[in-house]
Amino acid sequence: MATKDDVTIGILAMQGAFAEHQVILQKLSIKRKVVTTLVRTMDDLERCDALIIPGGESTTIALLARLAGLLEPLRAFVRKKPVWGTCAGAILLSSSVEGAKKGGQELLGGISVTTARNGWGSQVESFEAALNVDGLRDSLKPFTGVFIRAPVILSISPTALEPPVQVIARLSTELLPKNQTLIPADEDNTDPRDTRCVVALRQGHHLLTTFHPELTRDDRFHEYFVRECVLPSLI
Amino acid sequence: MSTSQATPATAAANGNPPVAPAKPTQLSKDGPSSNVGTFGVKSGLAQMLKGGVIMDVTNAEQARIAEEAGACAVMALERVPADIRAQGGVARMSDPKMIKEIVEAVTIPVMAKVRIGHFVEAQILQAIGVDYIDESEVLTPADEQHHINKHTFKVPFVCGAKNLGEALRRISEGAAFIRTKGEAGTGNVVEAVRHQRAVMSDIRRATAMNDEELYAFAKDLQAPFHLLKEVARLKRLPVVSFAAGGLATPADAALMMQLGCDGVFVGSGIFTSGDPAKRARAIVQAVTHYNNPKILAEISEDLGPAMVGLTIEPDMKGGLLAGRGS
Repeated sequence: MATKDDVTIGILAMQGAFAEHQVILQKLSIKRKVVTTLVRTMDDLERCDALIIPGGESTTIALLARLAGLLEPLRAFVRKKPVWGTCAGAILLSSSVEGAKKGGQELLGGISVTTARNGWGSQVESFEAALNVDGLRDSLKPFTGVFIRAPVILSISPTALEPPVQVIARLSTELLPKNQTLIPADEDNTDPRDTRCVVALRQGHHLLTTFHPELTRDDRFHEYFVRECVLPSLI
Repeated sequence: MSTSQATPATAAANGNPPVAPAKPTQLSKDGPSSNVGTFGVKSGLAQMLKGGVIMDVTNAEQARIAEEAGACAVMALERVPADIRAQGGVARMSDPKMIKEIVEAVTIPVMAKVRIGHFVEAQILQAIGVDYIDESEVLTPADEQHHINKHTFKVPFVCGAKNLGEALRRISEGAAFIRTKGEAGTGNVVEAVRHQRAVMSDIRRATAMNDEELYAFAKDLQAPFHLLKEVARLKRLPVVSFAAGGLATPADAALMMQLGCDGVFVGSGIFTSGDPAKRARAIVQAVTHYNNPKILAEISEDLGPAMVGLTIEPDMKGGLLAGRGS
């Protein structure tokens, strides 16, 4: 049972790789005790101090959230408490998305970015790449980014009233998607400021990664989320 | 974690933070590098499908219905298993044009089937960019002795299994995802239940064994020792495992989830039923809320007629498919 000092982190468990996040969180060794809960109902969500939206299929997760009556409560949660989206979760936290299914896609919003689904193309283009990430423990040691049918960040555009966006990891321009009609190719793929290179960022207490830290045995991203996003929000 | 990363199939699923990448990624001196088609990204996509429903579709319109109903992926094929069974003849890979139309129509992953052992059909599907290949007993086998060497492909494979030995043989050939065989095209879940119970029972036995016993058990199962040892350590298959073959109702889907599956395939059960969109959505919800009988009761209401089921017997029309390839 959670006590007053424990931190409860929920993982949205509609569909996708939610169990993987839970296993890593349960093994974290940090000063505050982290309690995890799989979120499928309103009651589950109300217990949470923070939330992770896992990888999976964003259309499926959004539909199931709507059918469970969770879509509006989730939007309200995102306005108040820290949320981390990985891959499909990153799409759901975007303020807008391109390449969505016909008829559009429901989003939660919360982070001022526009993303494109399946930025690199089909599964045969999925890849792993070593990333240097600002602010991680042992930050000189690269973090293995696992990109699976990953989204691409097309633009970052917070308004003056919103918290600034802080980019914490980028891919090399050489790894940018090629021959993707969805993504404008008007640049020569060499500008390191190109937002399409951005694969991890923060805005306020929110965290967004287009890859899957939960598919590695490296817990540094989960530790980072708790330390940098969740704990400061509790003060 | 003290185990080595010797086998790519140590990539895991539930219960263990997965994926020893097949090759370590490092920043090389020559600049950035990336690895495409590692076992990590192959099994990783299966992990993203967990808790989801993969639906058989035969055209772009059905694929759109499936996507709208919340399918996490679709299986593109010309005939659903019930029709293959009824019509007979040799069942082969589908027309690439039809598969490409389905890829164009949806944003979710698209899978397609090849005949057991038919590695050229697999080369063709990889070339047109499908997201997953099912080396499937539902099609007529092209090779009665050998399965495809799946390690040599960038595209990941799912394979059927009736028991733990068969599952581990497929994983050792490179499958990144396992499903029960069940008995496709029957609307009868009994064989899928049999296969899932067989796998889980053997996993529980392995879990209690010491190394000497595991060596002997590996011999009995005709499975590689190192994979069996990994199963014993993880207390589950080292890759994602779904139910398939004969599921027709939300209750069938929730049953397979409670028996330990990570998600479900529904083949003929959706588009041969009275109201495909409604049934598809109900099955999607059943997989998420599989442990909540109250929600299961609500979503099972008023779905219209389910597909007509068949009793499974050796001389049934179309024969028994699960025995193909072992």
